[in-house]
Amino acid sequence: MQQNIRNFCIIAHIDHGKSTLADRILELTGAIDKRELKEQMLDSMDLERERGITIKLNAVQLTYKKNNQEYMLNLIDTPGHVDFSYEVSRSLAACEGAILVVDATQGVEAQTLANLYLALDNNLTVIPVINKIDLPSADVDKVSEELENLGFDKENIVLTSGKTGEGVDKLLDKVIELIPAPKGDANSKLKALIFDSKFDNYRGIITSIRVMEGKISVGDEILMMQTNASYEVLGISIDTPNEKKVKELKAGEVGYLYASIKSLKDVSVGDTITLKKNPAEEKLPGYKPMKASVYSGLYPIDPSRFEDLREALEKLQLNDSALSFEPETSAALGFGFRVGFLGLLHMEIVEERISREFNIEIIATSPSVVYKLILNDNSEIEVDAPYKMPTPEKIKTIMEPYVKAVVFSPSDYIGDIMKLCQDKRGIFINMDYIDTTRVTIEYKLPLSEMIFDFFDKLKSCTKGYASFDYEVIGYEESKLVKMDILINGEVVDALSLIVYKDFAYNRGKEIVEKLKDIIPRQLFEVPIQAALGNHIISRSTVKALRKDVLAKCYGGDITRKKKLLEKQKEGKKRMKKVGSIELPQEAFLSILSKD
Amino acid sequence: MKSKITNCYIHIPFCNTICSYCDFCKLYYDDKYINNYLSQLEKEINSIYKGEELETIYIGGGTPSSLNIKELERLFNILKVFNKSKDIEFTIESNFENIDEDKLKLYKKYGINRLSFGLESISKKNLDFLNRNISKEKINKTIDMCRKLGFNNINVDLMYALPTESIEDLKSDLDYIFSLDIEHISTYSLIIEDHTMLKINNVKNISEDLDYEMYKLICTEMKKHNYEHYEISNFSKPDFYSKHNLCYWNNSNYYGFGLGASSYAGNKRITNTRSINKYLEGNYILENIELDDRDLYEYEIMLNLRKADGILISDFENKYNCNLRSKFKELLDDGLLVEINGRIRIPEDKWYISNEIIVRMLED
Repeated sequence: MQQNIRNFCIIAHIDHGKSTLADRILELTGAIDKRELKEQMLDSMDLERERGITIKLNAVQLTYKKNNQEYMLNLIDTPGHVDFSYEVSRSLAACEGAILVVDATQGVEAQTLANLYLALDNNLTVIPVINKIDLPSADVDKVSEELENLGFDKENIVLTSGKTGEGVDKLLDKVIELIPAPKGDANSKLKALIFDSKFDNYRGIITSIRVMEGKISVGDEILMMQTNASYEVLGISIDTPNEKKVKELKAGEVGYLYASIKSLKDVSVGDTITLKKNPAEEKLPGYKPMKASVYSGLYPIDPSRFEDLREALEKLQLNDSALSFEPETSAALGFGFRVGFLGLLHMEIVEERISREFNIEIIATSPSVVYKLILNDNSEIEVDAPYKMPTPEKIKTIMEPYVKAVVFSPSDYIGDIMKLCQDKRGIFINMDYIDTTRVTIEYKLPLSEMIFDFFDKLKSCTKGYASFDYEVIGYEESKLVKMDILINGEVVDALSLIVYKDFAYNRGKEIVEKLKDIIPRQLFEVPIQAALGNHIISRSTVKALRKDVLAKCYGGDITRKKKLLEKQKEGKKRMKKVGSIELPQEAFLSILSKD
Repeated sequence: MKSKITNCYIHIPFCNTICSYCDFCKLYYDDKYINNYLSQLEKEINSIYKGEELETIYIGGGTPSSLNIKELERLFNILKVFNKSKDIEFTIESNFENIDEDKLKLYKKYGINRLSFGLESISKKNLDFLNRNISKEKINKTIDMCRKLGFNNINVDLMYALPTESIEDLKSDLDYIFSLDIEHISTYSLIIEDHTMLKINNVKNISEDLDYEMYKLICTEMKKHNYEHYEISNFSKPDFYSKHNLCYWNNSNYYGFGLGASSYAGNKRITNTRSINKYLEGNYILENIELDDRDLYEYEIMLNLRKADGILISDFENKYNCNLRSKFKELLDDGLLVEINGRIRIPEDKWYISNEIIVRMLED
């Protein structure tokens, strides 16, 4: 039976039709009926469907018949966005093969390559697919040539349409033909990789596993090799995509188990599960821990919800191991958490999940990268929030993280892209023509410049045609200064930021102007200043509240007046009181200049 | 907390023209509706009114004066059911366009002793903007006529902060109103409400700063002409405060009859339907809110602080078992509230931000 198992995932650049293709595969294998098919079946979070992206991975078991043989296909969906490449690598570790989807109208893009290299690093067999061939603007020959240039055999390239379902059967045939069956001996000692976990209100923590060696059964006493926790397996299931209970999983199989695990600390994605009474000698390699590159402070607007926020973050961390957090205190915002993210999208998603799934209103401070400092006494420290920056006289050197960014674009936009990268303090590395009309441009850029609005600006200066990918390549010394923002004469620590010295005046001016428009009028005039040390470099003023009074009362309709006041009261509740000033959430993000 | 109801509001929803800013309950004058409406009004009054002696009756609209003589006479006959105190303040709203000597004489005959006119503005561009039409000659003539007939308590409404208006326009409106030498002036700055022509045409409010300048001009000019600023948007000569208006701000009980009217009795605030068809079917009530102690407390603060003399501390503390001075210490220390003669009030120079102050008082 193990011979008839195929474990594979689908990887692609964002928007190349990965989830729709997955839907067609589900349909073709009869896993779901056309009638029950919601768009993007595997994307179970509302947020995923709304944004049209996959954030969390999902595994589903399918049955497919070919040549009178029945095959068990385990399809593991993967996120497409650059911020989630960590999750991609997690799902790759559970697979023997990958389907690489390329949009027939777009061709190979930055994350096509990034994902391909990840798959090859994991020794996966890769099947290239040209998707969306039904579109009038599809250019199959051109995309095929691009794939051949990457080393694929023309005869192995499958043409599909996620929309019409064309070619999906041929794709599954290729999966069976080319992707190797999993190895591993069902009689060996159990080694199962935890590749995901989530919290279920009724069953506690559910862990998704891929059994590499041996087998696991309901009733087994298991041991988590890294955390040393042990539990009795209460149930094992697979998704087809509806839940199906099974008694055991054997080497090569994928499923999930629950064991009344209540303590979030006991489960660590990447850990190895073995049997307590007959444990394996060595753990599986697991994953290298992913390091957050962007940090932001999250504070509950209502201070009494601090513990709720902690619980929410713990629950999110369960299936988002890239999320890290520790408590911090801000003079302006009170108690909150410094939270580490893989990137800006990751940050946005987490913030949105906190407010939607846990109903906690939060203030998020402007994101920051991690700086490395060498102090005058030659000690080294890391700073992940501007307010933690020591005073200048104590600092010998400040270093900031740099990334190598690879931009894919039609050659028409070379000039614009280079100008953008240069404005962002980029250092040109290389440029290659992929064919006569498309180029890859490589730049070294400070991560801090990139996390703000690089992506938006790139999209707008290339009319949306460019794509990009990046990886952190190390630290370099930089001329950076801490800029404070003073509101009503007081430094608001949560608004401080670290800027490139030559940009400080312009940034300061932009920020105070922006804050002036964002901060609602208060009872008195409120000066807003940007300062480098004691030196004020820019100033604006929020005028005093001038007119805020109920109009004359028509015919005794007092309840309506009351409702208006209630509304005003509610609006106030969403503001964070900093000293005597009420600040809306947007004020804290104003530093993310979008214009 | 059962207290006697001594005030009554009657709503007449009909108008000859519809003003662009008005979202209040109004219908084009249509004589086929009027008699049915009056019959239903009569039924509503007779089924609810308990016979208390009334201190104030206020007939508002809409435009009550859009009714013809016969209809008005029928209305007044319906209102005969009310037991009126000998000092009653009996007001009717009218428009200069549809008022005449016969109607005024009729008012007099049925005991009306206070007249309220919607003047709003006399500048041509403002009137066009408001979809109103009025001339100084007509106004002057009407006021003269009122005086001759012995009406000695007259109010006009003034609207300001219109997008078409400059501070000079407002000054000339004020000067004109002062020349009429009337007893009472109600002012209000334009609010662009939903479902009005202004909203539909996407009209925007004037700047907060100009609005404030206008409010300040009104306050200074009124003072100069000896009008007392006794409530946020109302001014009067001494002894001509509107008793009916004050009943709202004193949080007193009142009846409300007619389409869209509101009443307050015991701890219930009832708002009538705004649908003429429902009303004519006898389904009067749209919303009936029963107030708990917290609501009563909040309403009383919000309403009392509309008045120059504010909250009577001893009375309030007895009713709600609280200590106002310690509760609002911060606001008192900051000068956003002041205590004078056993009363807490918003100082006059802070009235323009009274919402902000009240909201702070209502925070837990």
